[in-house]
Amino acid sequence: MVANKIIDHVDEYVRLFIAHAPFLAMATADAHGRADCSPRGDYPGFVKVLDEYTLAIPDRPGNKIADSFRNLAENDGVGLLFLIPGLRETLRVNGRGYATDEPEVLARMQTEASEPELAIVVEVAEAYFHCGRALVRSRLWDPASQALAQELPPAGEIAAAQLKVDINPELLGQSLEEAYRKLY
Amino acid sequence: MTLTQRIVLEHLDRVAEDVLSLTLRGAHGPLARWKPGAHIDLSLPNWLTRQYSLCGDPADREHYRIAVRHERLSRGGSDYIHRYLKAGRELDISLPRNNFPLVPAREYLFLAGGIGITAVVPMLRAAHERGTPARLVYVGRSTATMPFVEQLRSSYGDSVTIVDTEREQRPDLGLLSAGLGPSAVVYCCGPASMIAAAESVFDPGQLHTERFRPARRTFAPNTAFTAVCARSGREVQVPADESLLDALNHAGLPVPSGCREGVCGSCVLTVLEGEPEHRDEIGADRSQVAACVSRSRSPRLVLDL
Repeated sequence: MVANKIIDHVDEYVRLFIAHAPFLAMATADAHGRADCSPRGDYPGFVKVLDEYTLAIPDRPGNKIADSFRNLAENDGVGLLFLIPGLRETLRVNGRGYATDEPEVLARMQTEASEPELAIVVEVAEAYFHCGRALVRSRLWDPASQALAQELPPAGEIAAAQLKVDINPELLGQSLEEAYRKLY
Repeated sequence: MTLTQRIVLEHLDRVAEDVLSLTLRGAHGPLARWKPGAHIDLSLPNWLTRQYSLCGDPADREHYRIAVRHERLSRGGSDYIHRYLKAGRELDISLPRNNFPLVPAREYLFLAGGIGITAVVPMLRAAHERGTPARLVYVGRSTATMPFVEQLRSSYGDSVTIVDTEREQRPDLGLLSAGLGPSAVVYCCGPASMIAAAESVFDPGQLHTERFRPARRTFAPNTAFTAVCARSGREVQVPADESLLDALNHAGLPVPSGCREGVCGSCVLTVLEGEPEHRDEIGADRSQVAACVSRSRSPRLVLDL
């Protein structure tokens, strides 16, 4: 993969990458340029290529997509960074985004008998593969790197502390685990 | 326990517009036996599992054959197969399952719509081998999009009627029904519209159907119940907003699943006591429950698990 080879559409390699990517980070900004970046994830290929200039990203619970929708309504610029586990190179796609409830788009995103209510359509302006040095340096896919996760306290403890409420962190952790069971 | 078979994709052939035939060879020798009407789950590299009817010859123990239409509104199964699968690739498939078995009869009428022909091809062969009178009416958008047309015509001649809906009227099912003997059995595999038409004409006792996707139906609101696992004695609470399948899996009782919409039968469990509320498409009986969609009318459902 050649770095910095920017194209203005979805070619066969961009399509191939998206078909195998279970995760992306999505950056948007509001009318004042206040920026926001949020994670999206599902099975590989959850982002659909509608045609060679258009992608669609499903809304799923927990995506906090409302922030992105609000931003896109004010400012349609959007930047996407796709990751494939095990692969050092990443895919970057920049363009303009808007919300859609087009039934033919949502039908392609049905999982387990439920369809998302909304999706974000991205009109592609730039697509390119980014070289893997950041992922090499970060040892992102090295299984040994996962030991880092043990250095943080449980998520329930962090949430309880940050919410500054008198709530049992274990209970909060349990309710978080409960929420993780309902993915769609 | 999920029993899988490792296969090598031996070749992929375009057998009609937007339809690929996949020939699967057992990676470690002969494949499991199957009978007409059977399907397999195919596990794809993108984590999706899709069900395909076996359309080859049950006598060939070395190979399975399936045919896959590239769906315009693909959710990621057929699109992946058409764009990215290449010959030589190894994949996992399930053992064959049969929710659509060919029952003995004196006469058969087979109705196939589009890619629904795949389930019917081995049935027609079996009927002819047994010397049972059998007719096939095969309906499609245009003959270019319909796999196996030439092969069916040359093998079975006048007993096959091909209907190209771009140029011809849809078949008159009433007329077909009138031409059948009293003990004839009808098999229909195709889109929802075709199955609905068949259901309005043929007697439920003589009609066997298989759907691509579940029919849109509405059910009474979900209620919570307790699943009792007879073998371990464990009791698992199934809340109203969770499926039996998910509740069992989250409780650490692994139940295999495929379509998760009541079509494939991968997650069917044996019911020992209690009254299941069936929401599946495979016609599970009182002693079975499709854990992905079905629930319980009784507060407790005792499972052989």
